[in-house]
Amino acid sequence: MSFSLLQLSLIIIGYLFFLFSAAYVVDRGWIPKRIVRHPIVYVLSLGVYASAWAFYGSVSMAEQYGYGFLAYYLGISGAFLLSPILLKPILHITSTYQLSSLADLFAFRYRSRLAGVIVTLFTLAVALPLLTLQIAAVAESMHLLNAELPSSTLAFAFCLTMVLFAILFGARHVSPREKHEGLIFALAFESLFKLIAITVLGVIALFFVFDGSGDMQNWISSNQEQLISGHTSLQEGPWRTLLLVFFAAAVVAPHMFHVTFTENLNPQALRQASWGLPLFLLLMSLSVPPILWAGVYLNVDAPTEFYALGIGMALNSEALVIMVFAGGLAAASGVIIVTTLATAAMFLNHIILPSYTPSPRFDFYKWLLWTRRLLIASILLGAYWFYSMVSGNVEITLLGILAFVAAVQFLPGVLGVLYWPTANRWGLISGLTAGILVWLFTLLLPLAKLTLGWEYIIPLPATNMENWDVAAMGSFAINLVLFVVISSVTKQKGSERAAAEACSVDTVSRPSRKPLMASNSNDVIVSLSKPLGRYVAEREVHQALKDIGLPSYEDRPYALRRLRTRLEANLSGLMGPTVAHDIISCNLPFQKDAELSEDIYQIEQRMEGFHDRLSGLAGELDNLRRYHKQTLERLPMGVCSVSDEGEVLMWNAAMASLTQIAPKDVTGIRLNTVADPWGNMLQKFLHDDAIRQHKKRIEQQGRPHWYNLHKSIIQASGGQPGGTVILVEDQTETQMLEEELVHSERLASIGRLAAGVAHEIGNPITGIDCLAQSMRYETDNAEVLEMADQIQEQTKRVTRIVQSLMNFSHSGNQTTEHLPVNISTCIDEAIQLLRLSSQGRDIEYRNQCDPDWQVVGDSQRLVQVFINLLGNARDASPDFSCIHIFGYVDNYQVTLHVVDQGSGIAEDKLDHIFDPFFTTKEVGKGTGLGLALVHNIIEEHYGHISISSPVPEHIEDLQRSLSLDNTLPAKDSISANNAGACVTLRLPKVQNNLLEDDSE
Amino acid sequence: MYNYRVALLVVFGLYVFSPVVIDWWLAPNGAWYHPFAIWFLLIAAHIFVGFKRGSDEL
Repeated sequence: MSFSLLQLSLIIIGYLFFLFSAAYVVDRGWIPKRIVRHPIVYVLSLGVYASAWAFYGSVSMAEQYGYGFLAYYLGISGAFLLSPILLKPILHITSTYQLSSLADLFAFRYRSRLAGVIVTLFTLAVALPLLTLQIAAVAESMHLLNAELPSSTLAFAFCLTMVLFAILFGARHVSPREKHEGLIFALAFESLFKLIAITVLGVIALFFVFDGSGDMQNWISSNQEQLISGHTSLQEGPWRTLLLVFFAAAVVAPHMFHVTFTENLNPQALRQASWGLPLFLLLMSLSVPPILWAGVYLNVDAPTEFYALGIGMALNSEALVIMVFAGGLAAASGVIIVTTLATAAMFLNHIILPSYTPSPRFDFYKWLLWTRRLLIASILLGAYWFYSMVSGNVEITLLGILAFVAAVQFLPGVLGVLYWPTANRWGLISGLTAGILVWLFTLLLPLAKLTLGWEYIIPLPATNMENWDVAAMGSFAINLVLFVVISSVTKQKGSERAAAEACSVDTVSRPSRKPLMASNSNDVIVSLSKPLGRYVAEREVHQALKDIGLPSYEDRPYALRRLRTRLEANLSGLMGPTVAHDIISCNLPFQKDAELSEDIYQIEQRMEGFHDRLSGLAGELDNLRRYHKQTLERLPMGVCSVSDEGEVLMWNAAMASLTQIAPKDVTGIRLNTVADPWGNMLQKFLHDDAIRQHKKRIEQQGRPHWYNLHKSIIQASGGQPGGTVILVEDQTETQMLEEELVHSERLASIGRLAAGVAHEIGNPITGIDCLAQSMRYETDNAEVLEMADQIQEQTKRVTRIVQSLMNFSHSGNQTTEHLPVNISTCIDEAIQLLRLSSQGRDIEYRNQCDPDWQVVGDSQRLVQVFINLLGNARDASPDFSCIHIFGYVDNYQVTLHVVDQGSGIAEDKLDHIFDPFFTTKEVGKGTGLGLALVHNIIEEHYGHISISSPVPEHIEDLQRSLSLDNTLPAKDSISANNAGACVTLRLPKVQNNLLEDDSE
Repeated sequence: MYNYRVALLVVFGLYVFSPVVIDWWLAPNGAWYHPFAIWFLLIAAHIFVGFKRGSDEL
């Protein structure tokens, strides 16, 4: 069976084009985000791990090691089963600080440009055999399908195709910070396709080559000797080494790091991946033994690695061969694309950008994009060069072993990032360098000598395919020992310590609260314009502000510090942590003379993020911290704490309620920039010597408010920052009550004075009246008589006033009876008395109260109330108007309304209408004591009185509904012009039991 | 917090003794799919433990 070049090319181009179309559809947003970000897509995309090694190489491994081939699957499965303690912390670090590769992670954690460079170069040493393995698998499989075509030509054509598609997949966007959703979706599709392909082949092997599982088992039993004759025993063999290198591959293999962390679209999906990827790999590996045994059974004429293709050829099934070939292509192309993209990004960030930065005049994003494309092409062509060197002499399993053993050298550094905060750059660099050198001299060069026949001047160990694991473990052990020893005997720099704290699983980073030189976000843009150009600087600053949810202009010191941190993270995603750190350090420096103190607010925010992960004593302490925080937050007094530098650190809920300023708007800003009047008042108090101030008056919303202020100094000690805590106590209500009490007391004093004066005036006035009366009998002179009349008239007036004063002042001393009183009778009596007066004879009084309504009170005093109320109403009413008295009764009280049709009362006078000596009448016509007296009497009856003008709508409606005789028009001519007034009285109703007692 | 280090030690211990365990696991005496069945049971146990632990821990 043979396929033409055209057929094979069509299969490759067609498959890759279909794959790209899937990615394109996703990038255009034609597939809903919930599908693209679904955990299943993420899990399947992680299946990129199952490369050509899994598809072809595993069969060869199974032949050599028996079930030992499972190490490839079990190692990484173990890493994913341990994802809560291994992968999740790394994902947290990479997403927080925008780290896109292992070199980024090491350069960030160990604060070493050299570490980034070494990791990048060593990653190339990992990537080249890995890429070569994939190229070899595809080229060899093509060669198997068409023996006329030379492998090297096929490999070159395949490499060129992959350059194009790698650029299409990963280097179309301007900003590499964006996640490649299309790429992830395409990888998921690839994984699904290769799983289906290998499963179908496994099923065919099981049921068509053999006659089911039982038949295959019988065949295995009868050929046991032959099958295991070539096996290498697990205990003697490289089992541990294989398990270790594939365990580490989850993090240290460039393509796995890229898919697991850099392209992660949904952090929660890692939870599903912890069992989803092992399950996927289980399904992938399940077909490997049947394929091997079917190959042996059919005596397939192909290398063991390509039994998968050979079975289809032996069965003479073109469809099966094409499907398997496309499956292998899917397995290889995914790894090629992702590994190339990841390695290119590392080269850009750690080799090119630190040594050459384009002029700010150029479009930086465009420069980045083209450099990245050039790197992708260079790496793939480099892989082709490596392939052309080893082509035909090296098994693809050996290439895989070389790549993964090189990658495992990064494992000590990764564990140091997570679990050893004191590990340092010198330990990492020395361990890594030693490990790679040992790998080179004990593994790579001896195996090259063995397979390629290379000769060397220096003596090398006799490593071969049986003892390679000794060399691999030796290189790893030397790396680990040097890492531990050198880190223990050398010291970290301050910046490295801070980065270690930021990365370590067990600690919370403690950011400093140093103020920036830049005073606002516009200054930040200006500073960053120097290295990045104005356009890029503006775009990055606005993006960073948007990322942390801040407005486009910021001048709060706290917000600027957060902006600085975010900018460094975002630039790190763009150009690597080393360059980003250099740019930020040089262009956005902190103030040099400022004291270094910790940002408690940020520490607390980060601790909130760790809450779910704290256990034991740490968890208990965190609960205690939250309890104290809640106590302060919910304290019914305003609490505000201010740092030594004058920054607001805390602003509790009561404070927000008092000031109407939300905590998020004020936390982190300087106290003197808080909106007035609060900023001014608190700032003055902060710098005042007094530790408390009473009743500070400020105007809020046009009304005065009073606050008591207290403060306490927090002394800085033992690394704990100092500051001041300010308590604010609202005294407005107390102050209002005090003022009211003073007013009442003043009125009472006036009342007592008036009573005294009235008493003293009464006697001489009586004398004057008597003398005037005597004078009438002493003369007949008309003038004198008239004068006497006038004197008597005036003395009567004085007497009336004095009597009113006496009544008012004595009203509180009189005993009020509390007996059942018929309220309607009282009103009638008051009306009768008023009608005796010559005034207001044209006024009509309408008592519409039910004659059966009874209240508890003193009838005489209630008559006095109605005389005053109706008298006032009469005085305010125009001629021929009507005064209505009506109401209603409920379970506990009788409510009465006295409504007139007068001119009404101005709104500003309503509040004072019951004050003594307050009158709206003309001078000389009223004393201002009538309504005050009414008020007192009603209060003595445990009632309530209020006045409203104009007459409220609902009272008018009630009045209208009660006027059954229809004598009252809806709005007559008088009431239409006058606002009128309504006095409402509420008096306690007589309860039935009281009536019964009374009747007894 | 210190549970992580304990877990890492346990993993290291399992790794050291893994050939003994694996020899039993992958012994060619039983049916050819036995190693896969045991692997599947381990995954199922992990899923069960994961669901019990709750979604907020990961």
